[in-house]
Amino acid sequence: MSVVEPGAQLLPEPAGLPPAAAVTTGVRADLRALRPVLAMLGLRRAVLARAVALGSLTLAASVALSGTAAWLIVRAAQMPPVMYLNVAAVGVRTFGILRGVSRYLERLATHDAALAGVAELRTQLYERLSAGRTEELARLRRGDLLARTGADVDDVGDVVIRALVPAGVSVVVGLGSVVLIACFSVPSALVLLACLAVTAVVVPALAGRADSRAETVRVASRAEVATATEALVSRAAELAVGGGRPDALAALEAAHTQARDGERLAARPLAWSAATAVLAVGASVLGALLVAVPAVGSGALTATELAVVVLVPLAAFEATAPLPAAAAQLRRSAQAARRISALLAATDSAARPGVVRDSVAPDGVAPDAAPEALDPLATTLQPPGLHARGLVCGWPGGEACTAPLDLDLTGGSLAVVGPSGTGKTTLLLTLAGMLAPVGGAVRVDGVDPHGMRGPERAAHVALTAEDAHVFGTSVLENIRVARGDVAREEALELLDAVGLRAWVEALPDGLDTVVGPETISGGERRRLLVARALASPAPLLLLDEPAEHLPDDVAQALVRDLLALGRHERSVVVVTHHVAAVEAADAVVTLGHAVPAGAAATGAAPGAASAAPAPAASEA
Amino acid sequence: MRPLDPRLLRTAAAARTFVVAAAALSVLATVCVVVQAFAIGHAVAPVALDGVDLAAVATPLAALVGAVVLRAALTWFRERLGAQAAVDVVAQLRTRLLEHTSRLPHRWRTRHGAEVTTLATRGLDDLVPYVTGYLPQLLLTAILTPLTLLVVLRLDLVSGLVVAATLPLIPVFMWLVGVTTQRWSEQRLEALAAQGSQLLDLLAGLTTLRALGREVGPGVRVRRLGEAYRTTTMQTLRVAFLSSAVLELLASLSVALVAVEIGMRLVYDRIDLATGLTVLILAPEIYQPLRQVGAQFHASTNGLTAVQRVFAVLDEPLPADGERAVPAWDRLVVSGLAVAADDRGYLAPADLDAVIEPGRVTALAGASGAGKTTTAMALLRLQPPDAGTLVLEHDGERTDLADVASAAWWAQAAWVPQRVVTSGGTVRSHALGGASGPDAEARLVQAAEATGLAHVVADLPLGWATPLAAEAGGLSSGLSVGQTHRLELTRALVRGARLVVADEPTAHLAPGDEQEVVAALRAVADAGAAVVVVAHRPGTLAAADVVVQVRSSAPAEVAA
Repeated sequence: MSVVEPGAQLLPEPAGLPPAAAVTTGVRADLRALRPVLAMLGLRRAVLARAVALGSLTLAASVALSGTAAWLIVRAAQMPPVMYLNVAAVGVRTFGILRGVSRYLERLATHDAALAGVAELRTQLYERLSAGRTEELARLRRGDLLARTGADVDDVGDVVIRALVPAGVSVVVGLGSVVLIACFSVPSALVLLACLAVTAVVVPALAGRADSRAETVRVASRAEVATATEALVSRAAELAVGGGRPDALAALEAAHTQARDGERLAARPLAWSAATAVLAVGASVLGALLVAVPAVGSGALTATELAVVVLVPLAAFEATAPLPAAAAQLRRSAQAARRISALLAATDSAARPGVVRDSVAPDGVAPDAAPEALDPLATTLQPPGLHARGLVCGWPGGEACTAPLDLDLTGGSLAVVGPSGTGKTTLLLTLAGMLAPVGGAVRVDGVDPHGMRGPERAAHVALTAEDAHVFGTSVLENIRVARGDVAREEALELLDAVGLRAWVEALPDGLDTVVGPETISGGERRRLLVARALASPAPLLLLDEPAEHLPDDVAQALVRDLLALGRHERSVVVVTHHVAAVEAADAVVTLGHAVPAGAAATGAAPGAASAAPAPAASEA
Repeated sequence: MRPLDPRLLRTAAAARTFVVAAAALSVLATVCVVVQAFAIGHAVAPVALDGVDLAAVATPLAALVGAVVLRAALTWFRERLGAQAAVDVVAQLRTRLLEHTSRLPHRWRTRHGAEVTTLATRGLDDLVPYVTGYLPQLLLTAILTPLTLLVVLRLDLVSGLVVAATLPLIPVFMWLVGVTTQRWSEQRLEALAAQGSQLLDLLAGLTTLRALGREVGPGVRVRRLGEAYRTTTMQTLRVAFLSSAVLELLASLSVALVAVEIGMRLVYDRIDLATGLTVLILAPEIYQPLRQVGAQFHASTNGLTAVQRVFAVLDEPLPADGERAVPAWDRLVVSGLAVAADDRGYLAPADLDAVIEPGRVTALAGASGAGKTTTAMALLRLQPPDAGTLVLEHDGERTDLADVASAAWWAQAAWVPQRVVTSGGTVRSHALGGASGPDAEARLVQAAEATGLAHVVADLPLGWATPLAAEAGGLSSGLSVGQTHRLELTRALVRGARLVVADEPTAHLAPGDEQEVVAALRAVADAGAAVVVVAHRPGTLAAADVVVQVRSSAPAEVAA
């Protein structure tokens, strides 16, 4: 049971950002956040192990190159017969080659694993989103949807390349080097272990702190910069004529000063991180010397072993070098994973329409207050057509945006008008079943549209939202989005119906021209979307602002034509602000006003429609 | 793409300072690296050969401590300076970019404004890794690598020659790999971009597909596209990683060669152990910056592209400004005005004639895209005409508006945009617009009475003290669109503007509100200002004294 606070936003905040409290820092929290999403990458252990093995081989070759070279040189200085050096000489060169080759193979293996994971995660995400609840999708702006399924998925994939594999390699090679040194001198090995631990823990932790500080600062200054930029670019005329340009530039300067102060604060731990890394390498060499030199004097260590003990650490630190970047990547990926998880949780939630309806009580309207209004839906007003009783629309977790409505539409047309912000789009989404009703009930051909999936929905209702997507494919394929078997001739007829015949004939490849932002204007895009809606097999068409971006007269004609469709075999609901055209509708719902204009009598004969405020309506 | 664009150094002073500082730090870092190698070599050699104790190698050990501490300090400084420089360079470029953009012709801004906004906000942020990572690494490569090589050559000619011989092979091989695979890579990258955008297109359409009940099925396509994308990426990477593989291979092989060659000469006593060890430690250091500079370059290409775009904007010439003061005028004669709609190959407006007179309301009418707003911008000297003239007339004396200093012209003009954005303050302070004194007060009262703002204010609970929203996009709190326009017109009156240009002030208004704004426009004209209003609505057009039809030269079907 969620409590709607007074003053809660009408529209829920975009699902882009996780709540601040959820962003807990720390590697462990990040890993926990990543785990469920990483599982969706479907990475095979063997593939990861191969990448880590190849990476370890690369750095092991590097360490071995150092060690063998050190041994070779000191041994040579003892002037043995050359044949004693041959094996080492060959070894040095082999390790040199091995290092280069295995590095190449490791990079390929890591990227291949990550890319396979990304493809898998994206598919799973797509499938779960297309099977889950629609509320979250309907509220998500296209940019946010793209960010989740595009950039965020890539970010999760990057954790394999930049964090998991390097971390695995650094553990293998770091411990391997320590074991190698321990064969000659345990105290030296302990010194190396301590220094490696510093670079593996302290250095990334400091870098991570700098990273999160910088991010906090950047979020703040970015908003300021965006405001100043917007002013200087979009309001340049106003600023020039009104003399406001110096003020706007001063605001930009202030934003820059803020950014500068923030970066200064954030750079401090970063500088310490980098300096600590340098100190750790130096300390390990120095420590090795301090421990090993007396050991040589006491005969516990040979001269060649001394060289190995002192020079190997220099190479071993290559293993921990990518760890600060790995920590940063882990943080970034975990944030992406949290956003993906939040989206999935919102769409996967098992809540059914009834549960959602009960969870929000709009002001003055108890959702259960009109059970008698639901009964006729179940019994007397049977299909076909669109029927609603006491329908209250709203976003989950938000306030109700419409007063209770009764609708009956069977083969007729209904226009929805009203000022912006009065819930026109919300009503349409509810009729389409993309949103669950906050109160009351809606039936399309006797079925609750909110439970409809895929072909079932396509058979009953088709919604064309205001920001419906025009795909980057041909005109024909864009129409076929609504129904796969639209013939070319039929497509041309549909385009003709929306006044696009001349446009499509002027295109270089006609119906087969690929539509992109350059080939299609705002008005043409709208009309193409209407043509697509008309291609749908659904007997109920819902259209949101189909005439936006069209010249007034054209828009009115188009809305009129669409409403006239309702006279034929179809039912049409059109949301529009072209008030003059709605006289063509069989019924009109005016939202934001207590009394709907042009409401017809209740009781639906075929070809007639009615809309009325429900008896339970609270006067606004 | 040049790794270090001299224009960047010229444009951003912070970049110059940082390059100098980073170069100095690189020299010092080189000294540290050399001292460290010497210290280790001279600490290990006597112990290995003669088994001396710690006291005997105290000097090289002390030197080692010094070198390590100094190197850590240098790193610390470099990080601090880099972070600061990055913010400063971005800030300086952004300021230049936005200041320049705000002075460019209106039409250029309409066309490229969104691009500039993206560039100024997100695009330039990509420059940070360039400044903090690539630039210092580039300098380190340019300084440490040759200096250390010189030291090695001086210490041991043979090893030095081995390094000197292999070092140039790295760029040569990388270049060869690059050239031979370029065509292939380009094709791959194109395919990759196409597949990537197809995939994103499909994902972006998910909501639409669900709304049509057509979401079942494309999941398979997402998988197929994802797999195809992976295959293409791997094909690209197999080649792309080759050049860095060459680098790695040559670097480690050279170090191996140096080690073997030193070893062989040690056997014959042609080199001493301390020198041999020093050279062995120095050899990988020579390659180290080279290995990293490539990776850093990869991370900074976006930033470099952004910089090039900034320069492209800065290269746009600013419109010429006049020098003369505004003469007395009672007619602004527009003849043959034309502005190219540069992206579409026609003129909008085309060949426009009009006479703007104080005391009259002139409406600019015409289809959308005909150039009404552009005409308004030309009147305000914010859009230089491509053809035609704007002439101020008074008693037969004619002054070309182009010869008048724009700041002087703006001082007696006012622009009322369609969407008014307020920047804080109160209704009163906004209406006064910086004017003060009893004289201004009197003007405010008079103006507010004329435009009807006085009635609006009377209905506000806080009256003149009603606060206005300060953030971008925030409309004045509690005021409707029509009321906000009356506030703007009052402000223009208080300023004593002689030319008041309003952009569709009555669009989206209820008929009653429209009449009130029209009345306010009339009041401004009656006060002696030339009022120009871009208008669509019949009610507004009917109220104007003169209606000027603005037409473009576009073919009819394009204009529709």
